[in-house]
Amino acid sequence: MNEEPIIYATLPEVMIFQVARTIQDGEVVFHGYGSPVPTLAMLLAKRAHAPHMVHIEGATYGINPEPPFLPPTSNDWSLEQGSVMAIGISELFDIAARGDMGRMFLSGVQVDCHGNLNVTAIGDPDSPRVKLPGSGGGCNLSGDVQHVTIWTTGHRAPTNKAGKRQFRFVQHIDFISSIGHISRDGISRQALGLRGGGPDWVVTELGVFDFDPVTHVLRLRALYPDTTVQDVLDNTEFEPVIAPEVSIVPLPAPEHVALIRRFDPLRTHQREFKSTDLSRCFDL
Amino acid sequence: MPIFTSEDKRMSLVNAASIVQDGMTIAIGGGLSWREPMALLRELIRQGRHNLHVVGTAHGVDVDLLCGAGAINVVEESYIGFEQDFGMAPNFRRACESGRVQVRDTCCHTIIQQLRAAEFGVPFLPVRSVQGTDFLRLHPEYKTMTCPFTGLPLVLVPALAPDVAIIHAQYGDAQGNLKILPPLVADLFFIRASRHVIASVEQLLPTDELRAMEPNVPYFWVESVVEVPYGAHPTSCYPFYAYDRAHLAEYYQAAQAGQDTFASEYLARYVFGPATHDEYLSRIGGQAKREELESWKDGEDAWRALFTAPEGAIT
Repeated sequence: MNEEPIIYATLPEVMIFQVARTIQDGEVVFHGYGSPVPTLAMLLAKRAHAPHMVHIEGATYGINPEPPFLPPTSNDWSLEQGSVMAIGISELFDIAARGDMGRMFLSGVQVDCHGNLNVTAIGDPDSPRVKLPGSGGGCNLSGDVQHVTIWTTGHRAPTNKAGKRQFRFVQHIDFISSIGHISRDGISRQALGLRGGGPDWVVTELGVFDFDPVTHVLRLRALYPDTTVQDVLDNTEFEPVIAPEVSIVPLPAPEHVALIRRFDPLRTHQREFKSTDLSRCFDL
Repeated sequence: MPIFTSEDKRMSLVNAASIVQDGMTIAIGGGLSWREPMALLRELIRQGRHNLHVVGTAHGVDVDLLCGAGAINVVEESYIGFEQDFGMAPNFRRACESGRVQVRDTCCHTIIQQLRAAEFGVPFLPVRSVQGTDFLRLHPEYKTMTCPFTGLPLVLVPALAPDVAIIHAQYGDAQGNLKILPPLVADLFFIRASRHVIASVEQLLPTDELRAMEPNVPYFWVESVVEVPYGAHPTSCYPFYAYDRAHLAEYYQAAQAGQDTFASEYLARYVFGPATHDEYLSRIGGQAKREELESWKDGEDAWRALFTAPEGAIT
């Protein structure tokens, strides 16, 4: 397969490329466990445009690993291969707490217009309708890390059996597991004394977003070749800002796609996607 | 914290587990699907422990199993799930959604700060984060204050000293010195903050051999040590074995099918059924299974193959 010319990229691969583009060279970057899309984005960025990025692996905390494959669980020795060493859990969180972590990646089952995320519970957390797995380190890191990239593969809102749309980008968030730009009480990050700048990019299967600099509301910046502004509006419960010029996302080069396929021979990242998105392909 | 100076801490699984009493706060070593003290947890379940309060960071089958067996009533962890492998944790979800288990989710740095406060002998430590999130609502014991030096708001989290840390290490000696290989996750923080430490090990070694490995836990914190090969199964314990994906798929399917099915298909077969740990090892597939899980050492292809089959149910 490595010998064959690469002539297309899948939607997941294009999304991984968009997440990789949010990484700057020379910064300390960390992804959480259970996050194959950011893991591959980091592996790609370091070998593409950010060779001096410090890659800290999600659960092993290995530094600059060269994994032979991505397993479907994060605390595995395979993800430590190629690292000179690993740091410990307190060292990792201390780097962020003192303001030295450049970027991290967070997701949510509910995302509100200011980038607050819920991965804790749907309904009342004291008697949840759905208990979600939990935020890991996301609550602390959302406050401490300099920049956060939000990603989700579930922007498209399906209709449930009762005919009700199930939005991921919601008007009302049930629980704030990690903080975006403005709290539930309307307080800014600065007034909360938080160190980091909050989420600056949001990458979904429908488009790429940032936040309006004045209102801190989600703002559409780019679409995929096969999505429209209307798709975004139809699948977002609140009203997002639409940038004056919405572009089409840049596609990865064949060598970028080759790197993604080399690092993920088990296609672990595809487990994050719906089958309809797996079949979206773009000619390179 | 008590100091344990006995020369010989070797104990049976039954006696070691009996240090844990109903209602205690326990910290479980390892994390996600790695090096969790599963044999000790199965023994806790057989002894009928209940109303336990578990604290820690990101976990999986360990806490889900305790939820499925009705052993715990408070979960104060940062994550319980099966990641990309199987998704949400069925027993944990059911226990939280039915109200049997109280949701007290925490966050990794918060809990490390609480353990470090206990370790340092101070009543609390501050964090700058958590402000603006709903964790403050979930944890009335956290306090906020204005920093007297900078004027910035801070969250104060109280010292947390678990009653018992339950650890699975790769190596140990009779006196209770341990060598835990990384990822260490929160194990060393649990050990230094807890009142009691009980440990199972893959191999008990003479002290001279252990010394050559540069142990990272001194004996005086450890109250008991039990040699239990495959004591972390079905989680991984490198360099001995990878995690048992087929077993976890079976676990997941039984848990997903409901409380009763989980009790009859899983707990009866793998927790209450085997009279000894050796019998457990034969039920999970005996020598052939052990060879398979140890085949990660045979190179990248063999290692990768352990993650390809069987396809589990994905939520």
